[in-house]
Amino acid sequence: MRKVAYYKGCLASLSAKELDTSTRALAPKVGLELEELETVTCCGAGDIHEADPDFYLHLNARILAYAEATGAETLMTVCNVCTLNLRQANAMLSNDDELRGRVNENLQSVGVPAYSGKIDVRHLLWEIAEGEGYELLKQAAHKGLKGLRVAPFYGCQILRPSKLLGFEDPDRPWSLERIIEACGGEAIDYPAKIKCCGFPIIQAREETALGELIQPIEQASEAGADAIVTPCPLCHLSLDAWQSKLKAATGKDFRMPILHLSQLVGVAAGLEESELKFRRHVVPVTPVVEKLEV
Amino acid sequence: MQVALKIWRYDPEGGDRALREYEVDAPEWVTLLDVLDLIKDRQDGTLAYRKSCRMMICGSCGMRMDGAAVLACKTRMYDIAEAGHVPVISAMGNLPIVKDLVVDMAPFWQKFRAMKPWLEPGYVEPPDGKEHRISQERMNVIHKESLCINCGCCVSECNSMESDPEFLGPQALAKGMRFVGDPRDGRKVERLEDYNSEHGIWDCTRCYFCTERCPKGVDPRDAIAKLGAESVKEGITRDMGAKHAKWFVTSAKTTGWLRETELVPKTQGVVSSIKQMKFAMSLAKHGKVPPPVPPHVADKVDEARALHEIVSAQDRRGFLGHVQGERAIARIERAVEEDPEHATASRDAADVTPGRRLTRRTAD
Repeated sequence: MRKVAYYKGCLASLSAKELDTSTRALAPKVGLELEELETVTCCGAGDIHEADPDFYLHLNARILAYAEATGAETLMTVCNVCTLNLRQANAMLSNDDELRGRVNENLQSVGVPAYSGKIDVRHLLWEIAEGEGYELLKQAAHKGLKGLRVAPFYGCQILRPSKLLGFEDPDRPWSLERIIEACGGEAIDYPAKIKCCGFPIIQAREETALGELIQPIEQASEAGADAIVTPCPLCHLSLDAWQSKLKAATGKDFRMPILHLSQLVGVAAGLEESELKFRRHVVPVTPVVEKLEV
Repeated sequence: MQVALKIWRYDPEGGDRALREYEVDAPEWVTLLDVLDLIKDRQDGTLAYRKSCRMMICGSCGMRMDGAAVLACKTRMYDIAEAGHVPVISAMGNLPIVKDLVVDMAPFWQKFRAMKPWLEPGYVEPPDGKEHRISQERMNVIHKESLCINCGCCVSECNSMESDPEFLGPQALAKGMRFVGDPRDGRKVERLEDYNSEHGIWDCTRCYFCTERCPKGVDPRDAIAKLGAESVKEGITRDMGAKHAKWFVTSAKTTGWLRETELVPKTQGVVSSIKQMKFAMSLAKHGKVPPPVPPHVADKVDEARALHEIVSAQDRRGFLGHVQGERAIARIERAVEEDPEHATASRDAADVTPGRRLTRRTAD
């Protein structure tokens, strides 16, 4: 078992609790011992970065400092937006001694430990798409996905900017496909899999956001997908909860089930409904559940 | 070496599009632009594309390779040809196609002009008749934004613009930041007011395609974030996007975590939120609307509150808060190798990022 500092972020704590429970249940099966960070806040979700950038940097520095204090080498996220926000702050702090010095002075003045700049921020997706995590995943996914046709949806902030994310080619990503196939599913290819779900502006510019959101759902649907899987709870919320608004706007009822990455792998690894919590989804996951006899 | 390309041709007369394959013998040092020149010279004189300087300065030869906007003159072909890959070349997105790889830049220039992209001097001439001097540090604020060559690669890929064609977009807003951040300009607040329009700053969906594609390192998404931060600093927060962003700041310093349920009324106002009630109830059934009481409060949230007070006093609000991190980011070498081996079927599509407006048009 490898210990990682687990940062679950806002959504997995609140409206996407199913992401947290399925991640916790899956972790030991893929060799991860989660040490949950208790003394942390929201990463700012790109919004604090935009409205108050210096506060954003300090909030994230504080999260990184507490993650480092656990003794783990990796801070593990389960959200694209947390991943980018933390990696961006980490890049700023670890590549600029002067900036880190100033931030550390502020952190220490309020009782937060100083941050050395050494921890690595990685998403659950990366932990199980390669190396030991991937080998264990192949063993853990004993129940398989029985040829389920799964459309991978990456979302933006786990791919771009690649300078800060850097795990895979942002135009030809492979990690989700590899995991789907390792679990015995069939990965569907479609152009919008690397595009935006519209979530960041879904409240301030709903019509524009829906114009983005329809692309992956419609394309995956036309390609015959049984479900879409995403590593991001914000993409999940947008794809799942706002699907009804697409119906209102276009008359098209896609009824496309949307799975969190931890749920898709969790199903293949035989997790229980009490851990997967499919009943928390707005679009019923019933067709998938029946096909796989969960 | 042999270099093969597939090119999406577009005939303006009949409106037909067709994918044609070409192969030429070329020296190992060729760029994509050189290959297009060879094809036009030796095989098909009707092929249309724009070019001028051939050295990444003029910004004329923006086009898509395998669905990603590139400058043809900056794109070396050796590794691609050696790998046996046959890339698909097409016109840029989000702009009307004139012929083959040539797009109509008129909408691009219209948005560019809307930013009033010229200096409106607002500084005081020194009384001794000497020049008005500005520190390098102060000019660093707009260093990246000043690198733009107006090629349109960012606009080509903008996900918001696909859905809202009137969005000012990454190039225009980055240009706007170039003047908002210029210490000699006297219209900063007026500019921010203008850029906070319905199709302005807060229309950006943070997809980061612009930053990923820019061949000059302008980082338009960062420029838009600078404009957002400076707007908030100046108290220009009437847009729902600004209200949304501010609510995250309030949440972080009060409970530590996002106060999710209050986000809608804080962003849209009470009246609009009431219209959303039916939708909210449908989500509440599935636990997607967490009750605001009792609040989900982070352990030691007083530390976050104290940090907010400290950074407010140190006053790096606005674009300065972003600029302080740029030096560190600039030190990172591009980390990801491109991976032409991992082909995706979608790359053969005429439009890899098919743009279209939703609602009314789809409903037809």
